[in-house]
Amino acid sequence: MLNRRDAVSRIAMLVGGVFSAPTLFAMEAKKAGIIAEAGTFTLTESQRKIVAAVAEHIIPKTSTAGAIEAGVPPFIEMMLNDCYKKPEHVSFKKGVDNLAKAKFLDQSHEAQVAMLTLLEADTKELMKSYAASKVKVGDNVDKDILEGAGGVPFWRVMKELTLLGYYTSEKGIEGSFEYHPVPGKFEVISDMKPGQKSFAY
Amino acid sequence: MNLNIDAIKSQTFDAIVIGSGISGGWAAKELTEKGLKVAVMERGREIKHIEGYETAMKNPWEFDHRGRPTNMAAEEYWAGMRTGYTPAEEHRYLFENDKQNPYIEKKGGFDWIRAYHTGGKSLLWGRQTYRWNREDFQANEKEGIGTPWPIGYDDLAPWYSYVEKFAGISGQAEGLDVLPDSDFLPAMQMTAPEVHFKNAVDKKLGRPVTVGRVAHLTKPGKQHTDLGRSSCNYRNKCMRGCPYGAYFSSLSATLPAAQRTNRLTMIHNAIVAEIIYDEKSQKAKGVRVIDQNTLEHKEYFAKIIFVNAGAIGSTSIMMNSKSNRYQNGLGNDSDQLGRNIMDHHLGVGASATVEGFEKDYMFGSRPNGLYIPRYRNWGKDKRGYTRGFGYQGGASREGWGRGVGQDGFGAQFKESLTHPGQWTVGFGGFGEILPDPNNRFTLSDQKDKWGLPVLSFEANFGENELKMRQDMMNDAAEMLEAAGFKNINAYNGQNTHIGLGIHEMGTARMGTSVKNSIVNKHNQVHEVKNVFMTDGAAMASASCVNPSLTYMAMTARAADFAVSELKKGNL
Repeated sequence: MLNRRDAVSRIAMLVGGVFSAPTLFAMEAKKAGIIAEAGTFTLTESQRKIVAAVAEHIIPKTSTAGAIEAGVPPFIEMMLNDCYKKPEHVSFKKGVDNLAKAKFLDQSHEAQVAMLTLLEADTKELMKSYAASKVKVGDNVDKDILEGAGGVPFWRVMKELTLLGYYTSEKGIEGSFEYHPVPGKFEVISDMKPGQKSFAY
Repeated sequence: MNLNIDAIKSQTFDAIVIGSGISGGWAAKELTEKGLKVAVMERGREIKHIEGYETAMKNPWEFDHRGRPTNMAAEEYWAGMRTGYTPAEEHRYLFENDKQNPYIEKKGGFDWIRAYHTGGKSLLWGRQTYRWNREDFQANEKEGIGTPWPIGYDDLAPWYSYVEKFAGISGQAEGLDVLPDSDFLPAMQMTAPEVHFKNAVDKKLGRPVTVGRVAHLTKPGKQHTDLGRSSCNYRNKCMRGCPYGAYFSSLSATLPAAQRTNRLTMIHNAIVAEIIYDEKSQKAKGVRVIDQNTLEHKEYFAKIIFVNAGAIGSTSIMMNSKSNRYQNGLGNDSDQLGRNIMDHHLGVGASATVEGFEKDYMFGSRPNGLYIPRYRNWGKDKRGYTRGFGYQGGASREGWGRGVGQDGFGAQFKESLTHPGQWTVGFGGFGEILPDPNNRFTLSDQKDKWGLPVLSFEANFGENELKMRQDMMNDAAEMLEAAGFKNINAYNGQNTHIGLGIHEMGTARMGTSVKNSIVNKHNQVHEVKNVFMTDGAAMASASCVNPSLTYMAMTARAADFAVSELKKGNL
């Protein structure tokens, strides 16, 4: 039988592994009991270019729209200002500035991919101290909790907001999923066809 | 007072119902249908069914923050934030701003989640609907905990049936003593991993698992369609308000039923400050109301008063109703007003990943899950604590959100997230909280913007709840293990308070005598016989099942009694 410590460390290994769309909205980042100040957040033009480039790396334009076309970069900046607090403001800017120092935008596509791959690996290491858990908090409601010290690292916030901004945008939903705002029925499917798109509601 | 006779007449009704939530709606329906002229006092603003559900049909991209609460909302809805979901962008408009409606927390904490508008929390409830069992009504007496219930299962059974037929409850009959069957509409389907789980847990651990019982129309009858209600469309956006009237709420069901009698008067923005007691007749003669916007005071009069303002709201009105006879709150000879706050404790359970079932999926979003009825301290099972818990949960396939924690980015990553991910499964416990007279709220010296006392709470989990939580966590993991699920994450949230379940109960309990309780077996205030309390306030214990159905049944039963007493000239 698992005790709490085991349970927490086990999930820490999976960190961030399994967030489903509805619960992602309910995620709250706890900062080890410290109440963070809200503050304001804006980016400079050159910082904006980096954020847009990174977002487009995460969700590039293919046969469907990419992050830029779906309006993700301004969404990220707005979300940081409206929904995130100082620790994330600081860690996010630090992440952008590190990319600026490394002359990210001057690199070739391949070199940019290599830099972001490295950044992702570093972030994973950094986030081992964070504990994530999925907690049932009400009838038909789950909550995901991410607990750790300091601000959530740049890459993690960048990725989360890029995916949220993209897969809930009109272009993102219509290009990615079968969108059924009024499904009208609930039916289990036992022979899902290969390549089936997710249903979005 | 210089009220002229016409004004008094226009402010006089046969019955006043305080609150339009799940129990107030029932009181309004039953009393009007039995021929009474009824005024419902709703402290919040008016919301109209369908057209009032301002976010119901919005697409995901129409929410600026895609559902997430902003920092400003987080600050203003500080109690709501503890739930993690009530201040979400899509339904925040239906919850109260905690900063503007403050309350005080002494030692410990209390999560008081409020919804002041037509229909109250009936627009926002979880819709999980279960009958209490026989034992639930007997446990207090057998164990010497709290006070004995003066009613039993048989008193409520016909009323359960009566309200179920009208409300429309979807579920599967199982024939279990621990979870008596309701009068059901067809059950919702289980997914393949859920069926696998049900079979494994039944076979290996002997615990039955059933599909959740929910107040959703899966096959509406005439009594439903007559009110304009239709079938569930499986959007699972219920908390925004349902334009199909598919789930039961005061707005979709009881208030329209009351309205069609032409005997209902809805009075909005009407905060009941106190119930006016008449020393001569030893009855209540009416209510004093404050308009929440104009702060104007007004009195309304009636022969019968139903107090249905939600457990805490109802009791605070009683406390604030002071007279020579009742200096400590109306009907409060027992000093029980405000005591024994209960709820269901939660935030404890386990989740896991499911291997296989790659070809299984589902169309539609089921506003429901599975239910595992109580098995602890039931039959021959005996634990180091008393009472028990049930679980709610279920399995689903991951969506794009899984990408946040996955390695990778780029074209292939983007494409992969457009397909359903692996199955995950989770169950959370809902545990019974024992009545404890020290878990209470009182009226503080601070006043709110209407000049009414700000409430002060002191409520903490006891030994029994804390012991039970160990089982709630371990058993959930054990059941997921029994089904062969992987990566089991068991949790026992330490930062939860009473109130988080938004199943607040107690504070004006039902009992056998004026010495130990506030209301009698008819939900009638012992010695103020024309006042009835039929919401969560009257609960003498909490069971572990969701409470709303029991309030509905009690309200219909009490309304029947009240009208027959009125006809006999006893009120």
